[in-house]
Amino acid sequence: MALIERLQRRASNWGLLPRLLQLLPRLAILSGIIGLGWLAIYLPLEGEFRHTYISENALMPSQAYSYFRETEWNLLRGYRTQIKQLADESSDQRNAVLGSWLEEVGVKTAIYRDPVNGDSLYGVWHAPRGDGTEAMVLAAPWYNGDGDFNVGGTALATALTKFFSRWPLWSKNIIVVFSEDTRASLRSWCHAYHNNLDLTGGSIESAIVLDYPGSNDYFKYMEIYYAGLNGELPNLDLVNVAVHVTEHEGMRVSLNGIPESEVDEEDYYGRMRKMLLGVRKMALAGVQTCYGNEAFSGYRIQSVVLRARGTDGPFDITTFGRVPEAVIRSVNNLLEKFHQSFFFYLLLAPRYFVSIASYLPAAIAFSAAFILAGLDNYLKSSMKTSAGPNASSYTLATIFVFVASLVASFGVFQIFVQWVKPAILVLSSVMASLAPIYPLKNRVSSAHAQQLKAIAFFYLSVVLTSLLVVNFALAFGIGLLAFPMIFLKTTTNPRLAIKNSILLTATNPFICSCLFANVFESQLPNLELIPRLVSAWKELGCWTWVLISIGWLPSWLTMAISSLPTTDTVSTTQKPTTLDTDVKKLQ
Amino acid sequence: MNLRELQVVVACVASRFGTSTVFPFLQQQLDKSVEFSTPVTSYRSLQEGVFLLRNEFPLYSGGVVHHAPLLVALISVFNSETMVSLLYACADALVAYQLIAMAKYFRSSSLPSWVPGALYVINPLVLLSSVSKSSIVFSNLAISTALLTALQGNWVCSAVSIAVASYLSLYPLTLIVPLLALLRNHKLKTLSTAAVTLAALLLSSYKQNDESWNYLFSTYGVIMTFSKIIPNLGLWWYFFVELFEMFIPFFKAVFNLFAVSCIIPFSLRFHKQPFYAFLLCLFWITLTKPYPTLGDGGFLLSFIPFFKPLYGYFRYSVISTLLFIHVSVLSPIFYHLWVDLGSGNSNFFYAISLVYALGLATVLVDLVWAMLRIEYDKGKPNLHLKLTPI
Repeated sequence: MALIERLQRRASNWGLLPRLLQLLPRLAILSGIIGLGWLAIYLPLEGEFRHTYISENALMPSQAYSYFRETEWNLLRGYRTQIKQLADESSDQRNAVLGSWLEEVGVKTAIYRDPVNGDSLYGVWHAPRGDGTEAMVLAAPWYNGDGDFNVGGTALATALTKFFSRWPLWSKNIIVVFSEDTRASLRSWCHAYHNNLDLTGGSIESAIVLDYPGSNDYFKYMEIYYAGLNGELPNLDLVNVAVHVTEHEGMRVSLNGIPESEVDEEDYYGRMRKMLLGVRKMALAGVQTCYGNEAFSGYRIQSVVLRARGTDGPFDITTFGRVPEAVIRSVNNLLEKFHQSFFFYLLLAPRYFVSIASYLPAAIAFSAAFILAGLDNYLKSSMKTSAGPNASSYTLATIFVFVASLVASFGVFQIFVQWVKPAILVLSSVMASLAPIYPLKNRVSSAHAQQLKAIAFFYLSVVLTSLLVVNFALAFGIGLLAFPMIFLKTTTNPRLAIKNSILLTATNPFICSCLFANVFESQLPNLELIPRLVSAWKELGCWTWVLISIGWLPSWLTMAISSLPTTDTVSTTQKPTTLDTDVKKLQ
Repeated sequence: MNLRELQVVVACVASRFGTSTVFPFLQQQLDKSVEFSTPVTSYRSLQEGVFLLRNEFPLYSGGVVHHAPLLVALISVFNSETMVSLLYACADALVAYQLIAMAKYFRSSSLPSWVPGALYVINPLVLLSSVSKSSIVFSNLAISTALLTALQGNWVCSAVSIAVASYLSLYPLTLIVPLLALLRNHKLKTLSTAAVTLAALLLSSYKQNDESWNYLFSTYGVIMTFSKIIPNLGLWWYFFVELFEMFIPFFKAVFNLFAVSCIIPFSLRFHKQPFYAFLLCLFWITLTKPYPTLGDGGFLLSFIPFFKPLYGYFRYSVISTLLFIHVSVLSPIFYHLWVDLGSGNSNFFYAISLVYALGLATVLVDLVWAMLRIEYDKGKPNLHLKLTPI
């Protein structure tokens, strides 16, 4: 205690607190830079990440011999030839034919009718050695994420079901699903399974989506997708098992669709690229192409997509089939749930990961940056208003403006869900961004503007904090893209006003996320992002649109209002003396 | 009661009643949330009790109802849901009114007397707690009545109210100690009145409950022995989930002792500031009770405006504010991660309940420190003098 007392006295003698308060704007910027640097530069460094390992010993991947080999070759090819002929048939026709094949094997089938998103055929193979309370899903959508007819995938799923049904060792039911597509149709089946389907097979533990378009016998390498909606990830054990089994069969693994040329790069830049790609995929899950695992998010189902790439190569389609076989056998071994605390990770390579404690500071730093910036603005404005007689009316006006921008944001959110016009949204955003150069007669006082900024920063910080654990990638993304708001200055200088206007344009939620998508995502050109966000919210229940329009937009709107031309020209950094006394009072 | 005060009271009824009628689903949602509802305060179990009572089933043999028999009987008088909403709104408005009345006893403070009431009305924790129809509203009402009438010197009312509060939720029984300090005279009479009232309540409950004493365990026994281990914002549940079976009785005794341990010390040390001692004890109970809700916390925080003269001494006010904001934002999220998504685990939620306890504790420590400082400064705040607590 005496030590603390001495430290406290020493600190107050040096005037540490006033100095720190003066440094607040710089500390905020520094904090943001640390956030970005932490994730992009620090984490891929040697020694900051770990080798993946199987946490649940019961899984025992590749410990048993895989039997899906030459004996199944002809069956698989037979199914494939038949399914190829079904390509031009209606969905009813296809489902009826496939359903009859499954019934022959002894699988109970049913068709889930969804007139909006497309029907799904599914079958339940009841486990000979289980109590029927748990199930594993093998899904093969008729059309994959790119819209190609999934011949190989559906043929494999059928052949595997037939193959599995001959084995007595299953302790969990096997559910095989053929949905129309990888997105809304599979999602709506999954929703229906948990609500109103008659034929069910217990709680689903894991789901494997097979994606093998084309009828080629051979393929080059395997792609694995795992990022779920709303920041959810499958248990790392399942991803590890999939990676382990695939590599055990001799195939190379590409995570999140990394191009083949970069798969083997495991140096610093390779790791950095792979991790940042993973973060991007997490943040944009549901918005960009869905490969199928997203459909299972939110129901405690661990899901991955296995995707064959390349039309020639050393591996044939039965090799591909051995991967889901081995993964399903591993999951079948599970006696309990998947292990806790294995749900939060970033993968830097198929065999390298960082866990939550290591990567969370990156997003916390952005949250802290906004808190610091808010605190700075708050102190500056309270210095100006505390002497004035109308301090409380200022505060009331600030709260009113903020509530108004919240309501307006909610309006934007609702209106554009019904009426998707991205061009109008972006155009009005640009108009609003010009706020600093509006020729207004009634100007905002600078103290008021700073108070508005403070409340905007605090709100954004609380939003980011609440997202930290739920959806790290989105928290990081919003933090990064909204970060330049910190540089907005309260000023009357017309040149700075133009700079403010540019900054506002650059941090507008819609403009800057569209820009981001244009630069990094080739599948989201122009303003494509906004309709995708809306449809992800409507069809998949992906919260990204809500968070952008109700979490980020109110804060931006308040910032835009605070950047309207101001009256007071007092440069805010030149009042250390009053700040000093104010702070001394606080101590 | 002047116009402004009337406005506050009307606003209280209107906001509670309006929210309940406009968003009827909110009540069920809040009642399912662990922050606003516990087995001993939830409206679901109260409704169950009303149903059992109306159909003349035994109330407590099912192990679902943990409310006092007379409370169940009171609610069963009201036939429509709207009337019950109105009852809750009026009870809450009465608390707001009593806060205003208490503020009038502190004329020296620069605060207009309607402010504590208005803060109570806009306090979201209290609002949501009242909308969730948690029975904590009635305990809070009884406690604030006891406090107000003690300030007014009305020892009969005060004794009866504290007896009702203890009848409803047990732990306020200990508040009788600071209450006695608050009443200048008639201490023995107060004590005996409270005892007689409590005995009468228990006896009439016995009659009401088909001449069976089994309600005693279902109401007070469940609280004291923490027999329903359900996550909440308190400090008990996680500990008893983790503990080996054979240690459980011992630690239940320890936790109960802990809950009452600071009552007498606070009352003795601050016997010259009895109102303040009463609130410290209330803080202590809220911090250590087995089934706390955010409604308790909100009720407590409504008393902070009374300590305006001490504000200068508060050292952690920013930290406590941030802690409370983060608790209210993060606790539903972490509970969702744990229970709905399964990606988090119980540690996530427990961490948040620790943060909540820390928030309450910082306010408590701040209050104690501020009062000790003002004693040291002999009633004249001297903010320039710096002291370090050792």
